[in-house]
Amino acid sequence: MRIDIQRKSFGGPDVLGRLRLDIRRGQRIAVLGPSGIGKSTLLRIIAGLDRDFQGSVGGDERLSVVFQEPTLLPWRRALDNITIPTGCNPALARDLLARVGLQDQVDRFPRQMSLGQQRRLSLARAFAARPDILLMDEPFASLDPDTATRMIALTGDLLDHSGAGLILVTHDAREPARLAARPLMLRGDPATLHEDRQAN
Amino acid sequence: MPGVLSLAAMLVLWVVVARISDNPRTMPGPEAVAMRLWQITVMGELWFHAGMTLFRVLASFALAMAVGVALGLWMGRSRTADHWLNPGLVIALNVPALVIIVLAYIWIGLNEVAAILAVALNKIPVVTVMLREGTRALRPDLDDMAMAFRMSRAARLRHVVMPQLAPHVAAAARAGISLIWKIVLVVEFLGRSNGVGFKIHLLFSNFDVAGVLAWALAFVAVMLAIDIVVLRPWEARLSRWRRDED
Repeated sequence: MRIDIQRKSFGGPDVLGRLRLDIRRGQRIAVLGPSGIGKSTLLRIIAGLDRDFQGSVGGDERLSVVFQEPTLLPWRRALDNITIPTGCNPALARDLLARVGLQDQVDRFPRQMSLGQQRRLSLARAFAARPDILLMDEPFASLDPDTATRMIALTGDLLDHSGAGLILVTHDAREPARLAARPLMLRGDPATLHEDRQAN
Repeated sequence: MPGVLSLAAMLVLWVVVARISDNPRTMPGPEAVAMRLWQITVMGELWFHAGMTLFRVLASFALAMAVGVALGLWMGRSRTADHWLNPGLVIALNVPALVIIVLAYIWIGLNEVAAILAVALNKIPVVTVMLREGTRALRPDLDDMAMAFRMSRAARLRHVVMPQLAPHVAAAARAGISLIWKIVLVVEFLGRSNGVGFKIHLLFSNFDVAGVLAWALAFVAVMLAIDIVVLRPWEARLSRWRRDED
């Protein structure tokens, strides 16, 4: 898919300047940058949640999103939280729940689960949509280091298994390497994308 | 237990006031009213008229909830709709129930359609306001989620929007049913030839206070039964997901 943005503003000065990004199924990209630079805005544009910008997002790849917060339906049990938004069949949902280690939580409501479990459920839901490209918005940000490490490993496994591509938005420069993603820097005013030469 | 005691205290007060006034025609005691209640119940008169009233209550309730929820949802979601419809809503909220009833009877005629419509029109603005507030409080993150996963409009309404609005719908329903049955009695009093309001009209013409109280109490009991048997369990079922269960 091709993302071609001329400019994006929220009524004031431009937040994003001219930037272009091509990504195919199987490719992994990480967008790095300090908070407030416009990373989430860029991801929302790619996900189709923000259409108020100049430019175009094209391609017929299927997208799926892991939000910063789990963003689950509190009134639905874990299994339904996968099948209802994605329309996938219950067998696939159960399989994914098992992959993220939630096979015993199928009939639980989100509030009966820990935050780590809710995030794994959110991850399982994203893969249930059978994405060509997975979009992730700071998904490991508010987790303790151990949980974050496990979530990153789990995400890597699921990406390997499904063959999906990845656009990861993060401010943590260590995450791209752990997911074998090509790091790009979002910087400047208005912000544009740059190859990250400082990355090791 | 305090509830039972409070009822008993009210009953005693009633007996005392009836004794002091010593005028069974305008201030009948509980025994006289209970006697009348028994009469209308066994003679079957209560069931016919209460049935007619209940039918009008349910019809106008259904109409008011359907229109009110739709309008509230629309006004809560669309700023343009809110700007255009809000002045009308404010006016509608402040038109006296009696004016709407009288105009409905004049413009539509002394018939069932006018009666049900008049009651519904009195309730629709209140439901609309409650649902508009509820809609404004919808979680934007869940909207994003639904959009990102390309959920259909119907699925979004059913699984994302309505569960969030359910407490507001339930509150509007419970507040609505008690308002509606009171207005239905006025509508029947003014222009129907059956129903509890019509009976009260007849008894009022004869200054039959015991009869008026008997009919009123009987219908209060019916509406309380509906609240306890239907509305409360329904509300509890809707909020099941809020509770922990093991």
